[in-house]
Amino acid sequence: MIDIKLSRKELSIYKEIIENSIKARINKINANGGVVALSGGIDSSLVAVLASYALGNRLLALIMPEDGTSPDSDTNHALRIVKKFNIPYKQISINGAIDWFYNIFPEKELSRPRVRLSLANVKPKIRMIINYLHANLGNRIVIGTTNKTELLLGYGTKYGDLAADIYPIADMYKTQVWQLAEFVGIPTDIVHKKPTAGLWKGQTDEEELGHTYNEIDTILYCLVDMEFSVKETSGYLKIEKSVIQDIYNRVIHSEHKRKTPTITRLSKMCLDKDWRYPVERY
Amino acid sequence: MSKVKIGLAQIITRLGDIEGNRKRIFEAINKGKAQNVNIIVFPELATLGFGSGDIYLDRIDENLKVVDDIIKFSKDIPQWIILGYVERDKHGFFHNSAAVIGNGKLVGKYRKVQLVNYRLFDEKRYFSPGTQVSPVDTPFGKIGILICEDVWFPEPARILTMKGAEIIFVLSASPYDRGKPEKWEAFLKSRALDNIIPFVMVNQAGIQDGVTYWGGSFSIDASGKIIKRAKLLQPEMLVLEIDTDLSKILRRRDIRVREIRLEILEELLKAYREMSID
Repeated sequence: MIDIKLSRKELSIYKEIIENSIKARINKINANGGVVALSGGIDSSLVAVLASYALGNRLLALIMPEDGTSPDSDTNHALRIVKKFNIPYKQISINGAIDWFYNIFPEKELSRPRVRLSLANVKPKIRMIINYLHANLGNRIVIGTTNKTELLLGYGTKYGDLAADIYPIADMYKTQVWQLAEFVGIPTDIVHKKPTAGLWKGQTDEEELGHTYNEIDTILYCLVDMEFSVKETSGYLKIEKSVIQDIYNRVIHSEHKRKTPTITRLSKMCLDKDWRYPVERY
Repeated sequence: MSKVKIGLAQIITRLGDIEGNRKRIFEAINKGKAQNVNIIVFPELATLGFGSGDIYLDRIDENLKVVDDIIKFSKDIPQWIILGYVERDKHGFFHNSAAVIGNGKLVGKYRKVQLVNYRLFDEKRYFSPGTQVSPVDTPFGKIGILICEDVWFPEPARILTMKGAEIIFVLSASPYDRGKPEKWEAFLKSRALDNIIPFVMVNQAGIQDGVTYWGGSFSIDASGKIIKRAKLLQPEMLVLEIDTDLSKILRRRDIRVREIRLEILEELLKAYREMSID
């Protein structure tokens, strides 16, 4: 019953659907192409490859390392991806922009955990600005790279890496992303390296989250796709209830990251609650 | 009658794109005409498109105009057409309906009885459910029509069978999610085997706002065997023949229709009433 792993046939269908969805949005809103922020991690590599199959040279990949913090291996992986799949790209260091924010604070404050975390969260927002700058310059859309695991856990920066016009792989769990990445021919050393959000040097997702992606995905699949309660998930997976409860809490508390800003309802036609129109026009 | 040649018009439709949908409908009619089919079947809500959008409220007249234009067009062609559209009844209520069109006339109508209101579906926001399940007489025999979710319940297909339908057409706008094509095949096989009757399912293709309609239209004969299948995800005009005599032959010895028992049907109704009270 717990069946996260995709068959080859399903991988082929997923690939085609994702490419179609990217094409549909761009064609239906008369955009010229797409922008994707390519870190060299597996999510952005997969999105870049699928978007390049969908758009060809109408895709622009932006490689935006923070020199000194982003591992060189990530930037090298990003460069390998654009070369292997013939993706037009630009490489822009974000250090100058980050320094501007660091300079707001006196030296002694920079070691405070709250300041450290807040400044770490500025980095994806700087990348977002560069994304939308290039989107505007070329009448392109920004193609987001978050996946279902991250989105459910709220493991992303609002208005940072989560800022995008479409999320092509956000209905795929991380372990499924690995499968599809291999399926489309992304080199295995890139697929199987330790995932990191690149917030600070040496950071890894699994260490920060406290569980492996395999464990997290199985739990999320039970809670979300199977609609099991915390108690049922714990019983079914034979995992301690407190572990499931912890993940469930993360899901519930991060709902705001998955929604547009709440509109205070005053009329019978409140635009985020009552009104429904398709985005993709005709 | 024995063999009926059918065109399964697996077209792309988009919510609110009446002009685009209309163009694709007429292209498919002309393809069916060129291949001398008897009946051309379209997906659910082919004129207006499927999805949760208040466009249903705005575009109703344009959608009805497409149906009128097809009725006029049908005067000069031998093909009959089964088309999903939004019907407006005498009270002004909307129905997710299918029109049976032939020889310049609207010969019959069917209103979806099992409206869907779970997960991404919100049909009750717009539509009133149908209350009648009856076949329509055509020169090619008595045909039954069901719309999408109707076939996920055993009763509507059973009623059509008992009322003498010889083929059941299922008009669909089924969004892709994992395992969905397999689930559809299982449901339709069960209905075909329950009732010893052939099925023709026509789904739409295309994608809008991240929702993909998976196409994959197919047909099953009265023995439960798949006759032909259209491509997944892409539009296609699939032409096939259905032998409606097969069910009559199979039903001589295969007892599932012949031996339906009144006592058991009464028991079903009784059980339903008891379940509803609980």
